[in-house]
Amino acid sequence: MKRKKNKKKFNSNSISPILMLLPSTLMLIVCSIYPFIWIFRYVTYNYNGFTATYTGSANFTRMLSDKQFWGSVGTTFEYAALKLIFIIPLALFVAVLLNMKMRGSGLFRGVIFMPTIISTSISGMIFTFLFATKNGILNAYLQNLHIISQPIKWLTSPNVIMAAVTILAVWGGLGNYMLYFSTGMNGISEDCYESAKIDGANAFQTFFYVTLPMLAPVLKTVLMLAITSAFKDYEAIMVLSKGGPGNRSMVMFLYIYNVIFGSGNGSQQQIGYGALLSVVAALIVGVVTIIYLFIARKLDHITE
Amino acid sequence: MRETHAVYSTGTKTLRALAWIFILILSIMMVFPVIYIIFGSFKANAELLVGGSNILPKKFIVSNYTQAWEQANFARYTLNSVILAVGVMVISLLTSTMTGYVFSRKDFPFKKILYGTFIAFMFINVGSVSLRPLFELAVKIKMNTSLLSVIFISAGGGQATYIFLAKGFVDSLPRELDEAATIDGCTFFKTYYAVIAPLLKPVIATIALLSFRQGWNEYILPLVFTMTNDSMRPLTVGVNMLKNAGDGTAAWNIMFAGATIAIVPMLVVYCCFSRFFMGGMTTGAVKG
Repeated sequence: MKRKKNKKKFNSNSISPILMLLPSTLMLIVCSIYPFIWIFRYVTYNYNGFTATYTGSANFTRMLSDKQFWGSVGTTFEYAALKLIFIIPLALFVAVLLNMKMRGSGLFRGVIFMPTIISTSISGMIFTFLFATKNGILNAYLQNLHIISQPIKWLTSPNVIMAAVTILAVWGGLGNYMLYFSTGMNGISEDCYESAKIDGANAFQTFFYVTLPMLAPVLKTVLMLAITSAFKDYEAIMVLSKGGPGNRSMVMFLYIYNVIFGSGNGSQQQIGYGALLSVVAALIVGVVTIIYLFIARKLDHITE
Repeated sequence: MRETHAVYSTGTKTLRALAWIFILILSIMMVFPVIYIIFGSFKANAELLVGGSNILPKKFIVSNYTQAWEQANFARYTLNSVILAVGVMVISLLTSTMTGYVFSRKDFPFKKILYGTFIAFMFINVGSVSLRPLFELAVKIKMNTSLLSVIFISAGGGQATYIFLAKGFVDSLPRELDEAATIDGCTFFKTYYAVIAPLLKPVIATIALLSFRQGWNEYILPLVFTMTNDSMRPLTVGVNMLKNAGDGTAAWNIMFAGATIAIVPMLVVYCCFSRFFMGGMTTGAVKG
């Protein structure tokens, strides 16, 4: 009798949690785990969407000699480096300035964060208008100010396309990193600044000897987020330049997208090969993250 | 240091003024593309194609919008965007609060592994390839012509962050609440919707906004699912299709109008609730 009662209690208390977990677990299985396993199934296949044939290591050898893919990996590193070099110092600088509690800093913060709520596909499109060679407003301004005499071919010249891509990336992401840093700075106690002031530190000293060291843990996390997300960016570039001109701005995830879904001009879908490239790309991102974490830990030991 | 008793010395004052000017210029640069596109959407196409450095149109016209709305199918795209964004929001809210509650309050076998899997897939990113099997699956169960599949996949892809947020918030609620509810005869589920859910308002607001934004701004996913199906496209895809279609330079006015329709609703939502956006961003990522 007692046992039966226990069993009943067990039932009513455990069925509803299971039911409550069911939808999200189902979505996890269908949307995340299933595609993940599916990819590995087709890594060694030649699959165009209709027929799949086993090709052994053909995909792998093809990848090793795929100059376009490794070129796109190089471009990804270049893009990530460019983005980080500009966005992190600028975001930190802006956060420090906004932290000075100047007039209207709330409004400024809102404005600088605003681009992050716009779809990257739409902002990519807006920037194609801004960057347009003949009737783009950016060239018009630069010419009016006599900075340039000839319009710059922002999107069609291989020499400046990375500048255009970087400008868009910084515009779209600055708000995020600014906000991370601002939040981190809120955690720094006012006393630290107070005592720095009493010791006669100027603004630069305060920044380098108080703010920066106190912000180190936040900076570490933010850098990791920034690195991983910079390697994964491709939506905005897809809209802005389609990887062109001449693959100059082709990042690896965009290249993979074109391999899997076709680049639009009637090219074949190569899903098996794309699956292999995806795994390699994910591994590259993983390795970069691990290297970063390793370096960050080493630096910790030095500063301690 | 001289005059340390003054709040700001002259040097600091100039420095602050310079900082203020710098931030002002930066803010103008940040807001400029948006202003440009919104005002540009009222320009005649001829004016846009000539270019020039005027932000304000010579003559305000609204025919761009009527044209986009009627000829370019934007009424349909807008409706799709709304359905997509609201759908993702509703599903995300329901599942993430329930899941967060269970993860916070219940102990069961493999809990750590399951939770770890949720969080792990926040970071594992194989890019667009995962859309391929999902698309084939949708074709197989004949859901590829319905926005429901796009909603489901979008919600599934973003749910980890929301579960993380919800669990963190439930963790901060005292367990005595649950115990009191149990003593009063509430079942586990009733405790959730009668006691816990009403207390989750702040985190619900954050999740609602973040997931609405996610659905509204989704691009690659609906692009893949609507390759051959124009009537299912949300704004993000529809506007960009215009750009890619043949002589893209010709229809600048419609693209400007389309881009404006795509960003203005988000901007309005943002202006009303910006602190929730920013709050959600930071609790999710960096804490302390």
